[in-house]
Amino acid sequence: MILRHITTQNFRNLGDAETAFHPQTNILVGRNGQGKTNLLEAIYFLATTKSFRTSRIASLFRFGASNVFVSGALERADLEKNLSVGLGVPPPVGAPEARTTPGQRRVLMINGEKVTLAAYLNAMSVFAYSAARLEVIRGTPEERRRFLDRGAASVNAAYLEQFARYMRALKQRNALLADIAMNRQSAASLDAWDNELREAAAPVHRARAAYANDLGEAFAQIVKRHGYHIAALEMHYRPNALEDKRREEIRARMTLSGPQRDLVEFVLEGRPASEVLSGGEQKMIVLFLKFAKLELFRRRHDDAPLFLLDDIDAELDLEILHDLLTKLPVATQLFATSAKEAFLDALTTGPHRRLTFENGRVTAARDFA
Amino acid sequence: MTAPPLANLINELTKLPGVGGKSAARLAYHILKRPTVEAEALAAAILDVKSKIFRCSICNNMTDVEPCALCSDPRRDPSLLCVVEEAFNIQTIEQTRDFKGQYHVLLGALSPLKGIGPQDIDVAGLVRRVQNSNVHEVIIATNPNVEGEATALYIAQQLKPLSVRTTRLAFGLPVGGDLEYADQVTMSKALEGRREI
Repeated sequence: MILRHITTQNFRNLGDAETAFHPQTNILVGRNGQGKTNLLEAIYFLATTKSFRTSRIASLFRFGASNVFVSGALERADLEKNLSVGLGVPPPVGAPEARTTPGQRRVLMINGEKVTLAAYLNAMSVFAYSAARLEVIRGTPEERRRFLDRGAASVNAAYLEQFARYMRALKQRNALLADIAMNRQSAASLDAWDNELREAAAPVHRARAAYANDLGEAFAQIVKRHGYHIAALEMHYRPNALEDKRREEIRARMTLSGPQRDLVEFVLEGRPASEVLSGGEQKMIVLFLKFAKLELFRRRHDDAPLFLLDDIDAELDLEILHDLLTKLPVATQLFATSAKEAFLDALTTGPHRRLTFENGRVTAARDFA
Repeated sequence: MTAPPLANLINELTKLPGVGGKSAARLAYHILKRPTVEAEALAAAILDVKSKIFRCSICNNMTDVEPCALCSDPRRDPSLLCVVEEAFNIQTIEQTRDFKGQYHVLLGALSPLKGIGPQDIDVAGLVRRVQNSNVHEVIIATNPNVEGEATALYIAQQLKPLSVRTTRLAFGLPVGGDLEYADQVTMSKALEGRREI
């Protein structure tokens, strides 16, 4: 799929304007804070309605703006579609860390028609690599689960709904446990919720295990192919099976086993990768993982997603990066930023467009053959 | 500045499901434009349902006679009982004209998040009804979501000692549609529930 152009309104510091892209490679250059990464984020937002930088959607609103709007023309299988995401009512400044604000209105449209989130997310696929984000290695278990979930969803369209069903059943059961603990409900209906939870957990465990397995294999192959010195890194998925812990759970007022406690671990010779690997090595591992995910996506779909590379820096092995990029399917449209132009040379061997940013605006666009 | 009586009507209308501020204003101005008799008829109809409609003591359906028309219809098969979450679900099933049994309306579905437990939807009443009548099969037609599924399972458990056949509506593909438009969860449910031909 190819993003022909994108238009943003009130999106961070970007000026309200349309930006046209090269079908293959787009290099975004400019000093820090000029809007390069914001444009990448806008592309990501257009595809996912989320940000790859923050879970606080409020920060996407330009200061003082009450709505954000991003639209773009996406070409896929010879059809051009207009996609748009509009958000209204920004959360108040200084609002607590809530992920979403109640009453926040989101309007998703394809070709001017309102569509559901599920239908919208199926329209456009994007993969983002950001050197600044190493949560997969260093972050909390929850972040690693989310990493696995995003991957599972990218190859299994039913996964998001299955996951949502499990989370719903989990919340209901937790509410019931709290009610039982406070003697507001009897335990009579707990069996029914246990069963619902079990049925909802099974497809989540299955999808996660299958994806973790495939990803581990693809990752090992890529690392081996490039002869990277950390070949012994292993990814372990440890599902947390549902267990009967009723009495403890009533006391704790929450469900103590199940997919919400699954673990994903990166281990090098028996030790957590985050403790053993240097920052640069971790960035390379994340990069390899990203390419492994791309590979799995490509096996599942006939199409290549957009690929965003944010903030390429010297800690990445540029030779390997270049090599990885040349092995991407030709149709993969690439968007890359770096504050240091030298790093971008690794990407500019083929036809590309260079977009120069100043003050949130593209001030120059030049094509190279 | 909207005149207070008008603002009051708009405010009351926004309390209706699916009616936002703009729709409420449009409805209010429409009512204002129409002849007084129409407004009186509307007001009377609203008061009428409140004073004349109540729940059937047998099945919980909304009715103006006791027992309701469905429960007292001698042509309906009392050995078949269909359990639904809300009274308006009956209409949907009745439109098919395929179901000739009787109904039982729960007063919602189990939802601990909303503080709704078995006693709030009167499952005990349903069990009593099955116990004291000649029901052979209970068809559970709660919604195919998390809450509806848990409710169905809870009811099935409660009915188990009564040795009555308990069934659940099938999940499957919408008839008349193309396969390619089926959502993935429906599709996998339909695969799961496939049958020999």
